[in-house]
Parts: sequence; structure tokens; C-alpha cells
Amino acid sequence: MNNKYMLTVEDVSKTYDGFKAITDLNFYLFEGELRTVIGPNGAGKSTFFDLITGRAKPDKGKIEFGMDTDLTTMNEYEINRLGIGRKFQTPSVFTEHTVYNNIVLSLAGSRGVFASIFKRLSSTERDRIDELLKLVRLDGKRDWKAGMLAHGEKQWLEIGMLLAQEPKILLVDEPAAGMTDEETHRTGELLVSLAGKHSIVVIEHDMTFVKQIARDGQVTVLHQGSVLCEGKFDVVQSNPKVREVYLGRGKSGGK
Amino acid sequence: MSSLSKRHKIELIAVGVIAVFFIVIFPLLNAHGAVSNFTINLWGKYLCYALLAISVDLLWGYTGLLSLGQALFFSLGGYMMGMYLMRMIGDLGQYKKPIPDFLVFLGWTDLPKFWVPFSSFPFASAMVLLVPGLLALVFGFLAFRSRVKGVYFSILTQALTYGASLMFFRNDMLMGGNNGFTDFKFILGYDLRDASTQRGLFIATALVLLVVYVALRLLSHTKFGLVQRAIRDGENRVLFSGYATAHFKLFIFIVAALIAAVAGALYVPQVGIINPSEMTPDKSLEAVVWCAVGGRATLVGPIIGAIGVNSLKSWASRAAPDYWLVILGGLFVIVVLLLPGGIVSIPARLKALWQRFKKKPAEPEPTSSGDSSASIPPASESKPSA
Amino acid sequence: MLASDDARKIQLVASLAGESDNAIEPLLKAWREDALYLYEPTEGARVPVLLVGEKDDNDGRAAVRVDTGASLVDADGKSLRLVAADLDAVEHTSALRRAMKGVLDLLDVASPDRKKRLQAIQTIGFSQDAEKLPALQKRLDMENDAAVKRSLREAIAVTRLKDPAANVKLSALKELQELHSLSSYDLIRNAMRDAETVGDKQTAAAAKLALSAIDKHKSTINFFGTLFRGLSLGSILLIVAIGLAITFGLMGVINMAHGEMIAVGAYTTYLVENVFGAGITIPFFGFSLSIPGIHASGVFYQSYFLFALPLSFLAAALVGIGLERSIIRFLYRRPLESLLATWGVSLLLQQGLKLMFGSNNVQVSSPSYLSGNWTVNDIIFGWNRVFVIGFAGLIVFGVWLILTKTPLGLLIRSVMQNRNMASCMGVRTERVNMLTFGLGSGLAGLAGAFISQIGNVGPSLGQNYIVDCFMTVVVGGVGNLAGTIYSAIGIGLVDQSLQQILLNPVLGKILVLVAIILFLQWRPSGLFVTRSRNLDD
Repeated sequence: MNNKYMLTVEDVSKTYDGFKAITDLNFYLFEGELRTVIGPNGAGKSTFFDLITGRAKPDKGKIEFGMDTDLTTMNEYEINRLGIGRKFQTPSVFTEHTVYNNIVLSLAGSRGVFASIFKRLSSTERDRIDELLKLVRLDGKRDWKAGMLAHGEKQWLEIGMLLAQEPKILLVDEPAAGMTDEETHRTGELLVSLAGKHSIVVIEHDMTFVKQIARDGQVTVLHQGSVLCEGKFDVVQSNPKVREVYLGRGKSGGK
Repeated sequence: MSSLSKRHKIELIAVGVIAVFFIVIFPLLNAHGAVSNFTINLWGKYLCYALLAISVDLLWGYTGLLSLGQALFFSLGGYMMGMYLMRMIGDLGQYKKPIPDFLVFLGWTDLPKFWVPFSSFPFASAMVLLVPGLLALVFGFLAFRSRVKGVYFSILTQALTYGASLMFFRNDMLMGGNNGFTDFKFILGYDLRDASTQRGLFIATALVLLVVYVALRLLSHTKFGLVQRAIRDGENRVLFSGYATAHFKLFIFIVAALIAAVAGALYVPQVGIINPSEMTPDKSLEAVVWCAVGGRATLVGPIIGAIGVNSLKSWASRAAPDYWLVILGGLFVIVVLLLPGGIVSIPARLKALWQRFKKKPAEPEPTSSGDSSASIPPASESKPSA
Repeated sequence: MLASDDARKIQLVASLAGESDNAIEPLLKAWREDALYLYEPTEGARVPVLLVGEKDDNDGRAAVRVDTGASLVDADGKSLRLVAADLDAVEHTSALRRAMKGVLDLLDVASPDRKKRLQAIQTIGFSQDAEKLPALQKRLDMENDAAVKRSLREAIAVTRLKDPAANVKLSALKELQELHSLSSYDLIRNAMRDAETVGDKQTAAAAKLALSAIDKHKSTINFFGTLFRGLSLGSILLIVAIGLAITFGLMGVINMAHGEMIAVGAYTTYLVENVFGAGITIPFFGFSLSIPGIHASGVFYQSYFLFALPLSFLAAALVGIGLERSIIRFLYRRPLESLLATWGVSLLLQQGLKLMFGSNNVQVSSPSYLSGNWTVNDIIFGWNRVFVIGFAGLIVFGVWLILTKTPLGLLIRSVMQNRNMASCMGVRTERVNMLTFGLGSGLAGLAGAFISQIGNVGPSLGQNYIVDCFMTVVVGGVGNLAGTIYSAIGIGLVDQSLQQILLNPVLGKILVLVAIILFLQWRPSGLFVTRSRNLDD
């Protein structure tokens, strides 16, 4: 890993009707890094993603992509086009479309109105779709309506859609929710294999999963809208403050 | 994108047969007296309504935008054509003056400036597209930019239509006020009272409907169609996939406005009158009823609905004039509550009933769309029966 | 009066000016028109008489003595019949006639009827006739009514504008300036022009000063007038929209039949009025329902409105509850569909009303307390508008009481905030939905009762208000009752101001709609945002 920042979040605050969702948050993501973000409910994890992806605008502070692209003035779709893909907490796929078409819609390329009218899939693109479908193990259900997939399968489809966008940064919100242990493990493996090629931020509750994907990478603990501590999984886990606010609440999944 | 599936071939053949019937056989029958002039005129009107219903469906059924402004675009198109037709009356009006009667009545002796170029058919035709198109562009830009969605969009378009109708009711708009335009005489030199002229207009309407149908069918198979329906089902996901949904919606809004405007322009010479009461939000809602009754999110649905509901209206307004509104209102309530898929979903429903009757538990998987090139909502599986 | 000397006559006639004897008018009129005759009895002095009544066969008419007012009788006490041609008309010269006309004009100035007096004074003022001055002056000394006094001063000053003496003119202008006389605006301007043409700079400057003072006064009046009208229009909007603010704002139901709920309320008022009056027969799908009237009159009849209010609320609330139970409850999660279904219902209701009450407007007599107005410093406050504002205040207060001080209000608020949670806590959400919708519809009914007092009542009454209702709620911010209040008053004020500027109500209304669309650009969720942190939203 080199030391190039992919994402810079400095002194960012966001208030909703007097409720401080994010307070003076600082966060730096390196190129190719896989970062795990944990924190109790209401710690501001989802708001954090909202701010990066343009869904919400910060009250103050700096959010930059790469070295100097200001994200705070951009729209959701402009930010996405820069190469920041997001998987939502509740799986959000195009339920009325087939699995195949879900990937078609997510495929990297021009997103313009007229381009989409005259778009024809090239054979490389078809191969790419096949490859992705195999990767997320939905090859056999390519003609199913996405709405008919099981919860875990939707999660995988959404990951597939994310990858189809060929993003530089992947923001993944609770990917293991609703998955069996085996599926969770496979998701972990997939994410780990993607690190290096992409910069990834994963929000997760499941400590086994966190331990699996964090390995010796950095884990960030959010609490009340700001960073409580940051470090290797073991270090974070043994931090008394973290235990108090988070692990101490009986939510301890880690051994 | 890929080769047509069997179902599409069937559809293609059905559409072809129906199109030939309406464009060739029906007018021929009229020319030989087998079909009355009244009937062909009535069907010309129905087909205009079908176009309007399709434009509603493009917005509501395919994109999830319930616009109550389609009657406005329809009437604007009609008014632009009406201006041309008013000019073509020449000095054959009641007052025997070279300017339209209502202007004489208002005390004008010369034609107001903006009326002058409407003596030209090409200019009027261009205005049929330009005026509604520009209005749709401006309004759509503002509405979609500020992310007005769902019922708010409906309410805003309702307000737009209402405001416009208030404007056209005014005499100093110089568009005929309350009475609008009527007493047309000629179009492109042909007498509008001639059966052959009306027949020509009918054929033109049928042709436009065919072109619109085919174009929209093709569009629904492109990636654009995918994005469009994705916006309907989950706009945020589309937005977070990098699509500027506002641009897509604006494009669709304008296309729908243009279809409605052309329908209006074809409607006016066939019906012989256009006035501001065509422009009210209620008229838009009526078109939504046609679309809902026929079956939204399908292309045949609005056509069946427009023709069906209006045939019913023609019958009811003669047989039970007091109860027509009761029938329309009741029909609407029933369709929304009990038959959300409209008439075109009846075969599929019957099939499902039949299967349940045969005690075969229905499995959800096989009913899902079978072709990989583009998915179409299942309601469109029934083939046109009009 | 019958003095032979002309000069004396003129003086006498002129002295009548400003008197308020009812006999003067017919006498002078007759005199001028040669209808005053002299009757010479066989003995005694000549008496002036008026011929009255129909001509008989001999062209004779009954005669009345002018001085005593008694009928002329002969020695036997029989009424005398005189023929006009046999009599001498009382003579008059042109000077005398002028004097008489002046007296006649001035008669109304002394009329006991205040309104007549005011009008006469104004007419005289506009004529700028210097000869009328003494009479006006005389009246001014006698007058007690403040408004008439003011009018007199105005008339005198306006008349003096014509005075050749510069200092009189100047003092007149000063007076007008102080009076902020609106009606003499044009005359002052004329005076200014005259002064400019003759080069009388001082007068011109004084006139200019007076004009600008009046202009200022005018704009003050316009400002307060607009403010008042805006407030009353806002109150109407508020009254019709507050029910929708509950059904749409709190419950999220798009009820296109809201307008028909208003109509139901209005027709209920109409029914109640007829029950208090002569009764009514309603044809209904082939049956006809006769409701006898109680033939009330006077104050009791006027009070029908008080009975109509709760009944309108109840009627509309019942219709609303029926609608909720039969249709809307199936569509809570499908707002667009509920829009369409309720539109269907609105057509049904409209047609139903048409079949029951006919497609023409019905007359609902407006109680007497709603006519008339109240003028303060040239600003007119119509009582119906004052009533509107008061009524709106009452309704808002009532809704506030229901929502904050009653158990139902607590339930409504809890269900609207978190349906699932409320349901878990044992709240019967179905019932609360029903009652909330009933409340919203009932308020629409109240609005209808009120609309019946100030506007037309017809089957399509609701259609005139539905767009306004939705606009008001949307601008205020959905889910926020206070927002609805602010937006109603705001829209009312903007509408009236635009009307004031454009002098065209329809154009003003269109501009308001445009302004609302632009406003929503700036604040897409309305004035007051109820923010949600729901990610799926």
C-alpha cells in the first residue's frame, strides 16, 4: 500500500434537527486499503456514508476524493461517476428487473440519456456480466426478477452491481446482514480479495466478520459522531473505551 | 438488443394486423359506405385519446410520474393547430372579416402580431411541438431539479394545468376566451366537412399512433427503458448508480408532452372545437382513468382503456346522461381497488384462478419474465385484443 | 314669501337654504315648473295653491294651499276643483329661478338622512360653485356628525380652490392636505395645472404638497386595505385547507374528494336553512324525500347558522368516515392510487349532489350580520371579511384544543408519529385513522358551512377550492399544522398584493401559482420541514 489518500474527511459535522449525527469527524482512506468501521447504533455510521455519497450535505468541514476533488458540492450521481460506489444497509436492487438487467444497469460506461437509448452491449461487456454473475453466484438465476431473490442473494447481487461499476472506492454498509454463516464467510473472502484493486470501507456489526476482513488492517470505531479510536483489530478490541461504549454492551461477537 | 422472442413475434404480428385494419381496411370500408362517416370520425377521436393515454402511461406506468398536466399539453397542441384552422376560415366567419370572429367581437380590426405567422401550416405544426415542448422543458427542469416526487409532482402539475386554464379563460389572452376556437372550415385547402378529409385525418391519426407505439416499444427494450422503469421502482438506487435521474425524467416528460400535443393537434380538426375546458386537471385525470382501466405499464393497456372507456362514455351519455359521472367515478374506484393491472391483466388473473382451481399451487418463478434482453412487466404478457 | 319685490323674494328663497322643512322641495319645484298657481277666492287675499291628484272630466284637480298645506274647500266644505288654465301661475324671474335651484340643491345637505347628506355635500363640492359656499358654511356650523363635518370642510375647501384670491386658494389647499381628501385629488390637480399656466408658483407648490400628502394617505389605505383583504383571503384558505392539512398533512392521504366534503358541509347548511324556513323536497334516485320546515322567522331564523355548524361538521365527518372505511384504508401505502380512487369518489359525490339538489347553484341566505362594513380612516372593513378572520381563528383554536388537550388528539399524534410503535402500545390504529380522517373531513364540512355564507353553493363548489387547498398545505410543509397557517396567510397576502399591483384577479392568481412553483424550488418540502432520517425515503 502506498500513502496516497483516496478519501479525506476533515472536521466534518452534520446536525439533524438539533441531533448531532456527526461531530468534527476526521477520516483518511488510503488507496487500496480495506477499512472496517464499527460503532454502536446511532454512532453516525450511515450518516457518514450519506455525507460521502452526497445524500446529505455536511454543515461544515472538508470531504475530498483523491487529492483535490471536493465532494461537498456534488450530486449523488456525480460522486458515483467519480468512482465511489455504495451498497446500502437494506439491499437495494431493482426489484422489477431481472438479475441480468440489474448488472446491465450498473455496468461502467456512459450514463447519459441519449447514450442509454443507443446503447448496445458489446461482447466484452457480456463476458464481463457473465463473469460477475459467476462471482456473486447468481449465474443460474440470471433471468429471475431481483425482487424474488432471498435476502442474502440480494446482498450479493448488490455487491455484483457495485463491482460492475468498477469503482475506485467501495462503501459497503453491513454486507453480512441476513446471510448464513457460510455466506458471510464467503462475502468476507470476496471483500478481502478486492482490497488492493479498490479502496473499501466496510461498516459492520458482526465481530467475527470484522475480524475476518480486518486481518491486520485498520479498524475505525465511531462513537457519537466522531472517531473514538483507530487501529488494528486486536488493539481496538482491547481498548477500554471501546469496550465500554460498544463491546461492553453485550454485543461482543469477538472471542 | 438480442433477437426477438416468440412472444414479441406474436405481438409484432398482432400489431401489424390491427394497424393494417385501421389504416387501410377501415377507411376503405368508409369510402364504400360500409362504415358511416360518424363512426370513422368517432374512432378518429378515440385514437387521439389513445395517444393521450399512451403519453400518460409513459409517465405514470413506466416512470412512476403521475402527471396531471397531460391535458394541458394536449390542449396546447390543439390550440396551436386551432390557430391555423382559425386563420383558414378567412373571411367566411359570421362577421365576414379577415380576422377570426372573436377578435372582431373584442374590437380588433387587425390581426394581433403573434397570430400572423399561424397562416402557415408548417409554422403552426412547428408550434404544436415547440410550445408544449418548451413548457414541459421549463416546468420539468424546475420540478425535477428540486426533486419534486410522487404526489407532490401530481399536485404541482395539477396547479400548472389549473393556472393555464385560468389564463386561457381570459379574453385578453386573445385565444378565444371561454368559447375557444370553433367553426373551422379548411385544412390545407381541404374542406373539413368532406368525408374524405375526415377520412384522411383518421388515417393520419392511426399512422401516428402506430409510429408512437412502435417507437415506444423499441425504446422500452433499450437500456433507456431499463433506467426508466428502474426510476419507477427505486429512484435512489438509480441515482446512486450514477444516473442523473432528473435528466431522464425531463426527457420522458418532454416526450410525453410532445405525444400529447400531437394528439391534441389531430383531435381539434376532427372534433371541430377547442376550448379551455379541455385543459382542466380533471381532463388529465380522465386520461389517467383510461390508462388505469386498460392497464398501466403496458402499451396496449392505454389504447384499450381509451377506446373502451370512451365507447362506454358515448353510450352512457346517450343512455343515461345523469349517471355518466357516476359510472366513470365508480369504474375508477373499482379498478384501483380491485383490478390494479387493468383490463389487460384479466387473462393472467383468470389463468391464475384456473390454476388454483386445478389445485396446482402456483410457483412464482416460472411467471417471471423469460427473455434476457429486456424485462417487461408481466402485465404486458397478454396480447392486444382491441 | 309672496312679497312683490323681486329682490326680497330672492333673499327669502335663499334663506330657505340649509333648512330641512319637507315642504320646501315640492313647493320650489312646482314654482320653477309653473305649477304653482295663485287662487283668488271671491273674497280675501290671494293664496298660492298646488294642484294635486288626477284630472277630472272638466280638467279640474284638487288644490292644496301652500301656506297651510290644507285642501282648498268652498264654503260648503266641499273640495274645490280648479282648472290650471284658469289660474295665474306664480311669476318668477331668472334670478329667482337660480336662487330656487340653489336652494333645491342644498336641500339634501340638510336632509335628516346621513347618507343622503354626505352624498349631497360631495356633489356640491365637485361642482365648485362659489354660490353654495354660504349654505355649506351654515350647515357646517349646525352639523354634529363628524364624518359629515369632514365632508363639509372638504367641499368648502374644494370650492375655494376656484376662488380668485391666492391666499384663499392656499388656505383651501392646506385644508385639503390636512384632510387627505381622496375625492378632490383630480380637482387639486386641475388647480395645480391652472396655477402653472398662469405662473402662480406658490399655489402650484401648495397643490403639489397637498397631492403628495394625499398620495401618501392613499398608499397607506391601500396598504392596510390589502393587508386586511389578504388576511381575510388567507383565512378562507386556512379554513378550507385545515381539514386537508390533517388528512393529507398528518395522514398522508391524498383526498381529491376533499373539495366535495366542503360541498357536503355547504349543502348541509342549505338544508338546515330550509328546515328553519319552508321545508324542502329532495329527489333522490327516483324517490323523493320531503322535509317539512318549521317556518321560523326573525332572530330565531337567523340563528339557523349556529345549528348548521355542528351538523355540517357531522355530515362531512360521516361521509369522510365512510370513505375511509370503504376505500382509503386499503390504500395507505399507495398514495398515488389513493389520489386516483378519491378522485373517482369526488366524481360520484358531485354527481350525487347534482341529482339531489340540481346542477344550479342554490341560494343560502346570508344572515344580516354579515352585510355592512366599518370604515376607519377611509379603510373599509367589510363585516363578512372580519367574520372570516374570526371564524378561522376559532377553527384553528378548536383544532389546537382537540390535538393537544383531548385523548383523541394524543392518539392521533402518536399514530402519526409512529404507527407501528403506537400499535404495539395497544393503540387501535385502525380506529384512530378512521377518526382522524373523520376530523379532517368534518373540518372541510365546517369550511363548507362557512363558504355557504360568502359564496355560491353548487355541486362543483369543491372544485374551486381543491387546488388552493393542496397548494396551501404543500407550501406550508406536509405534516405541519402551523406551516399551513403561515402559508395560508402568506398566500392570501401575496395574492391580494399582486391583485393590487396588477389590478387583475385572474392574472394575480396565475402569478401566485407560478410563485408557488418557484417557491418550491427554493424549499422543496415547504416552509416547515418535518425531517425524516428514514433511509428508504
